[in-house]
Amino acid sequence: MIAATLRTITGRKGSFLGGATVVLVVVVIVIAANVVIHELRPGRNPSMGGQAMLDGVGGALFIVGVVVAILIGSLAGSYDVAQGTMRYLVITGARRGQIYAARIVAVVLAVLLMLAVPLTLGAVLAVALPHTAADSITAVELVDFVWTAALLAVVFGLISMGIGSLLRSNGPAIAISLVFSIGFTPLLLLLYSLNDTLGDATLASSLDRISGGDDGLPIAAAGVSVVLWVAAFLAAGAVRVHRDEY
Amino acid sequence: MVVADPIITLDGVSKTFGATQAVSDVSFQVMPGRCVGWLGPNGSGKTTLIRCMLGLARTTKGTITVRGHAIPGDVRQALTRVGAIVEEPRFYPYLSGKSNLEVAAKFVGGDAAKRIDWALERVDLTDRSGSKVKEYSLGMRQRLGVARSLLNDPELLILDEPSNGLDPAGIVEFRRMIRSFVEDDGRTVFISSHLLDEVQKMADDIAIVQSGKLVLHGSVEQLVAEGRQSMRLRVDDPVRAEETLYRLGLVSGIKQGEHGNLELTGERIDDAKAILVTRSLVEAGVGVIEIARESESLEQRFLEITSSLPLEGESEHAS
Repeated sequence: MIAATLRTITGRKGSFLGGATVVLVVVVIVIAANVVIHELRPGRNPSMGGQAMLDGVGGALFIVGVVVAILIGSLAGSYDVAQGTMRYLVITGARRGQIYAARIVAVVLAVLLMLAVPLTLGAVLAVALPHTAADSITAVELVDFVWTAALLAVVFGLISMGIGSLLRSNGPAIAISLVFSIGFTPLLLLLYSLNDTLGDATLASSLDRISGGDDGLPIAAAGVSVVLWVAAFLAAGAVRVHRDEY
Repeated sequence: MVVADPIITLDGVSKTFGATQAVSDVSFQVMPGRCVGWLGPNGSGKTTLIRCMLGLARTTKGTITVRGHAIPGDVRQALTRVGAIVEEPRFYPYLSGKSNLEVAAKFVGGDAAKRIDWALERVDLTDRSGSKVKEYSLGMRQRLGVARSLLNDPELLILDEPSNGLDPAGIVEFRRMIRSFVEDDGRTVFISSHLLDEVQKMADDIAIVQSGKLVLHGSVEQLVAEGRQSMRLRVDDPVRAEETLYRLGLVSGIKQGEHGNLELTGERIDDAKAILVTRSLVEAGVGVIEIARESESLEQRFLEITSSLPLEGESEHAS
């Protein structure tokens, strides 16, 4: 069931293949820019690869990778109802909970698949291209680079899937997911002006903490906070899927 | 003699959407191995009841049992061998026909994947199975929908307007396929359609729903037989013929046409009555040149039944 759901997600060329291509192109542009600025001003930009490369690719993935993950997730949540295929999944006799659970796993796999090539490319070139000792990277830093990019994309992909399942319509699902992830999530950091713990428990702050940030909740608590944020959206979507008539 | 259990049982089923009563206290049974035509005007509750039978919508009142399992409580068991098209078949348009069936087969489980090629062949889509569904005509999508509904080797097929979009040749082929499901495979088919002429040729039984209420349920044969029947005669002396037939009280209405044509109407003009009419005319000295017996079509009966009922009137339920 997971493989079948993954096939329906990755088969959508606009959101998956198109999105993955955009992410790859952006990463390639960042890599090319790193090489070009090194060649043009080697004194000012002594490293092609190394930490400079990881920072550049990581930054690109932070923005573009998350946006594409939002597209993938929100469509995964809304598409079957919007297209009318959901009723045909239900009348196979499969439990709605199983269908939804398979979709969660498939979204995680689809987002990781989308990131696989750009992440690998960034990591390999960061190690392989010439860089100074000051820009050298450790295995831990490489793992951190992969973990951060994957974590952000998966979390926002899953939250968007919950939103898509709630809204059942593709356009609004994408729009609301983007507004929540890119607009509302940073806005919640204003809670710091009321209370530090509240601020630490926001999604953005908790994500920052478990992806290498130094401030905020203890790492375990930040992890729990992220899980709760994701679970809240997924649970809302699950309730809708369970109760809806198709 | 062993009497089979009904494959579908509806008992006092009602469904409301807010203040709207879509289905009202519907009870009937469908016996296995029959093709049942499910008829009603637009908005009469046909699709709503089909959705309730498939666990896609919840009933407000009453119980539904499919293959001996309660819906929606035991929907998984109930639907294990049920195939369906509801309203229209929907697919992932960016995947091929075969890929769509492969996706469906994963959800169905069991041996469903092994039946894909057979199902495609059964609906004559093997040659186009590699094309994307977005390139399919409506008729091809309908056939692919039937193929998908065959993946779990269904005992029961519930098909909602499956002949929409089919051309005349496709409709004839579709009718043959449905009859083959019933006669050759022993499957039960519950089919809603607006093509009453097709239903008359395809179905064994008919259920008519109007304003959410079941107004009639019985065999097609019985339903048509209960309708008005007529005889068309061409005689050499229409006046004497009319006098003779009125005197004998054999028919309830006689209409004279041109060139010695008479149209006789009656509740049941069976073989015996037809023989009696012709014999009486001959004995009265009337020459009978032509004789033809006609029954009301299902379409005429349907219109007669549905137009004679008040929208919110009492319904006549039959098991």
